[in-house]
Amino acid sequence: MSLEEKIAGNIEVRTREELFLNIQPIQAAGRLTPEAMKALIAYGDGYSVCDWCRAPFRLDCITKPPIDKFHKEVAEFLGMDVARAVPGARRGFQAVTNTLVEKGDSVVMSSLAHYTEFLVVEAAGGVVKEIPLNEKNIVTGEATAEKIEKVKAETGKLPKLIMMDHFDYSLGNEHDVYGIGKVAKEYDIPFLYNGAYTVGVMPVDGKKIGADFVVGSGHKSFASPAPSGILATTEEWAEKVFRNSTMKGDLTGRVFGAKEVEMLGCTLMGANMIAIMASFPAIKERVKHWDEEIKKINYFLDQFLRIEGNKIASEMPRKHTLTKVDTIESFHIIANTHKRKGWFLSDELKKRKIVGMFFGATKTWKLNTYALTWDQIEYLVKAFIEIAEKYEIPLH
Amino acid sequence: MEKVVEKIFQSQFALVDLREILRETKPVFALTEEQKQQVMDIIKVVRESIDLVEKVLVGK
Repeated sequence: MSLEEKIAGNIEVRTREELFLNIQPIQAAGRLTPEAMKALIAYGDGYSVCDWCRAPFRLDCITKPPIDKFHKEVAEFLGMDVARAVPGARRGFQAVTNTLVEKGDSVVMSSLAHYTEFLVVEAAGGVVKEIPLNEKNIVTGEATAEKIEKVKAETGKLPKLIMMDHFDYSLGNEHDVYGIGKVAKEYDIPFLYNGAYTVGVMPVDGKKIGADFVVGSGHKSFASPAPSGILATTEEWAEKVFRNSTMKGDLTGRVFGAKEVEMLGCTLMGANMIAIMASFPAIKERVKHWDEEIKKINYFLDQFLRIEGNKIASEMPRKHTLTKVDTIESFHIIANTHKRKGWFLSDELKKRKIVGMFFGATKTWKLNTYALTWDQIEYLVKAFIEIAEKYEIPLH
Repeated sequence: MEKVVEKIFQSQFALVDLREILRETKPVFALTEEQKQQVMDIIKVVRESIDLVEKVLVGK
């Protein structure tokens, strides 16, 4: 669907959130609140948040608009002491790995870690050591301890950091972050909790988990524009990760002592900063209703499983709305003989105003029902059932 | 002119709220009575805002 109205040149107006049910797996919880949309309208100009920037001339210290207050409140919201808004979760990871990891150091992480976790370790000169999954595709505390022992035996040193996704991007499975937090304390290894799929949708208490660092993604789970994210930590680690510059120019003698090295001075400026702040009140409210979101995805999947051959690749019952499904023995069989091959399913969904599944996929693919209303969930169920009936796939 | 600027933002923000109603009711757009009332309230805000902008800037 493209409107005649254009933003400029051939840049189309994006209408899929107004006209379609979008079940795209990673877009669901990043959809903006109306407050964030208003922030984009009012604060789009480049240095819009800098009108009242005064000494020490740093973003997190600006009082008007109340950026300083937001930083304090978001740290508290995550059960941590200090927080910074950052341009995406990956920049939060990077601030930590740049601080802790030196050439040749090992970092242990999940076998389902996001690629950016690999990249930040690589950029710091470190080495990724992956923790295997158990038979249920879960990373446990025990497996983490075993991997740490293995790394120690191989390298003679303990890993410098544990990075763990609470819910992974691939299956949306919950990993044993509490157990891993305990292991991290036992070995005295800093623990980075990757909350890209939790911070902003469900309650997260970093200290209760045993995390030294909590990283969230604004555009994945905090109803904010990309790039945006949060890095929160303890008082102890804040001194290191948010350390101030000590560099002095050899000719001019200039120093920038108020600037935080890993934040490169100011981090998330302009409309993105105000948008994440504007969404925050709604975020604080919506995390209280995570249970309802879980009810909705489990209800949807119960109905989805009525279609003979459909399976769920993710752990069941679901603890997250991001879910991988397996339709090899249902829709993929139709795709094998359909003139549109795998595209038939996307076509059928689009006809019913549903978009967001990986175009052409009929084997295993992901969806996310986060924030759909119950009416929209029922609509989604009906659409899949109708498609199954049309192609004479038996229903249970 | 402050009033004009205020009304421009007010109408833009009201249209954002209208966009949100579309997002909540897609793809069937079966609005509840409450949502229909919200639409009417939004339209009123936009009309009044635009009327004032026209009066001040164009003199009509």
